[in-house]
Amino acid sequence: MSGEKIRYHQSVIVEKSLSSLSAMVLLALVLATQLDRTAVAAILVAALAALLLFNYRQWRLTTVQFNETDVVVERDTLFKMKKTLPYSKIASVNVNRGILNRLFGTSKLQININSGSSATVPEAVLTFRQDTAERIRSVVSQRIYDREASPGEDEIAGSLVSFSPADVIIHGLFSVPTHQTVVASVFLAYSLFEQYLSVGPGLGTDGKALVSLMMFVLIQIGPSVSLIFHYYNYRIYRRGDTVYLQHGLVRTYRTSFNVSRINAVRIKSTFAARLMHRSCIEAEVVGLASGSGENLRPVLCLLKDDATVQKLLREVVPEFVYERSPEKQPESAKSVLLIRAATASLALAVAMTYPSLYVYRGAAALPGAAGAVLPYVLPLVTALAVFAIFYAAHVSYRITEFDAGKDLFTFVNGAVDRETVVMNYDKVQMVRITQGPVARIFGVSQGRVYLLSSTGGTSVSSGYFSGSLLGAVGETVMERIASGEYDYRKNCV
Amino acid sequence: MSLSPPDGQVDGGDGGGDGYRRLNRKCMLSMYIDHAISYAIYLAVYLLARTYAQGFLGQYYDLVLHAFAAVLVVVLVYMAAVPPVYYARYRYRITRDRVDVRYGVIVIRHILVPIERVHQVEVSRGPINSMLGLADVTVTTAGGEATINYLEIDEAEKVAELLNGLIGRMLLERRKTAPAAPPGLAND
Repeated sequence: MSGEKIRYHQSVIVEKSLSSLSAMVLLALVLATQLDRTAVAAILVAALAALLLFNYRQWRLTTVQFNETDVVVERDTLFKMKKTLPYSKIASVNVNRGILNRLFGTSKLQININSGSSATVPEAVLTFRQDTAERIRSVVSQRIYDREASPGEDEIAGSLVSFSPADVIIHGLFSVPTHQTVVASVFLAYSLFEQYLSVGPGLGTDGKALVSLMMFVLIQIGPSVSLIFHYYNYRIYRRGDTVYLQHGLVRTYRTSFNVSRINAVRIKSTFAARLMHRSCIEAEVVGLASGSGENLRPVLCLLKDDATVQKLLREVVPEFVYERSPEKQPESAKSVLLIRAATASLALAVAMTYPSLYVYRGAAALPGAAGAVLPYVLPLVTALAVFAIFYAAHVSYRITEFDAGKDLFTFVNGAVDRETVVMNYDKVQMVRITQGPVARIFGVSQGRVYLLSSTGGTSVSSGYFSGSLLGAVGETVMERIASGEYDYRKNCV
Repeated sequence: MSLSPPDGQVDGGDGGGDGYRRLNRKCMLSMYIDHAISYAIYLAVYLLARTYAQGFLGQYYDLVLHAFAAVLVVVLVYMAAVPPVYYARYRYRITRDRVDVRYGVIVIRHILVPIERVHQVEVSRGPINSMLGLADVTVTTAGGEATINYLEIDEAEKVAELLNGLIGRMLLERRKTAPAAPPGLAND
């Protein structure tokens, strides 16, 4: 950290070359159709050598410099690059270890700045030997959080709440959005239907059953397994103003961020989780990108019983806890929701007419119970869906809330998957109040609040309330700026 | 446009006593030209479908073409009706602390952007707006953006200059008055 130029660990040469290997294999397969095996092998070896040579040169000419005020990453190749990251703009410095890192005894340091435009990709990914990475992280953390994260402190600190493997599995299975589960179930049902049809004499599935089954795995099983791997051995704790997260089975994640970087807190529970009286907490924090395309919103609590979630919320982010006195939607909002439900139902009924006729014609000739039941399945499903839409409108009217506190305000939404979003007025970037033609008749509006989020920008919508009530959010934001209550130093991005 | 109004309001305004300004009437012409170009494309697609799609659509040919024609009629009515309503409803206001825009045809929107949150101001104009001497001003925050459409070019430049001036003054005042930033927090 004395300002001397250092290089990444040599393993990045192998790592980067391997990441390009799949493209080379694909190229080899294409070439194999045109050339003989020897030529393809020769091209492949030459390409691999060139790739290794290129990555070696990239490694040799890339340096990192940790100065007193900034980190400088410099690449002196044909396409020169010099990136300066001032400590004052760094939002987080996290450690990420994949399989290759474990094999080579290295860690990836990911440096993120407070930028909405590059929120999904880290500003710099630096690979060093594990102990060097820990030491650098510790010193950089000290510079950005004003406290030193001693190497190995994550091992010493206990989680505020313990999460068993069963909790992780429950989170993986039941935190997947309900609409995703419903779509996956439709694919599963269709797969079973095709399988059933194929048992008849002279009938085949044409692979439709298998494709549907694969879609089910892709939509439902894949995300669940991925979540279980991602959050295995989950731990959370807070020291001073810094929140620490640690988790991962194959790839391990150690993430930390300052509480002042949290723009909003979401308490979420899917339909299945609500049946188990469980919910989870997510935070909108900018500057936690890993560049791997994973969900960037940090989870502050896996699906746990509601009491534990509230306890953890008070201990980890008391800044987002306040005495609430929520407003329910006015009576006129009910009419708007019912008209919306009727329109959606009509559209669904029209859309399902042709598929219903198709299935009716296909299944009416089937012998036995199948011929008696299957022709009426889609009309029945449509009728159930229409019922569900109206029921969801009714529930939505009942549960949607808006609450404007002194420093914080809350939107509660979601007839099926419920979400309580607590936001700080000082983090609001923009407010939009919308009034559609039906809402105009009944004198209600919908509000949309724009915030800086983990993925750049996000917006949170309210239910139907009077325009003046929702307008108060924007007015409070303005008042806090005018009165000096808003401290730009804590909130600037 | 007056840029030095009393009590914190930046615009004098010709859109009523509340300080909101209205757009130039030329915005309707710009929208009509824009709509006419779009409609010509839809019409071309319809004519192509009518000429070449019989084999592809088979027995549904008549049904699809009738539906397409019905949609074209609805779109034509909508495109003809939108510009006057859009013009009549559009209001914007820029004060020392906020950008406030109200607009909409079927759905009415009211956008409030605190000047404090503005990161970037952009003036842009396409070929049609250039021809008519109009421009759009886009105000970008960290969480999203808001656009004031169809301003006269001079006015758009003034609005952008005004916003940049307000932001610059705000940052300058902060530098003068603020003590050193608390450790660990970002400086501006």
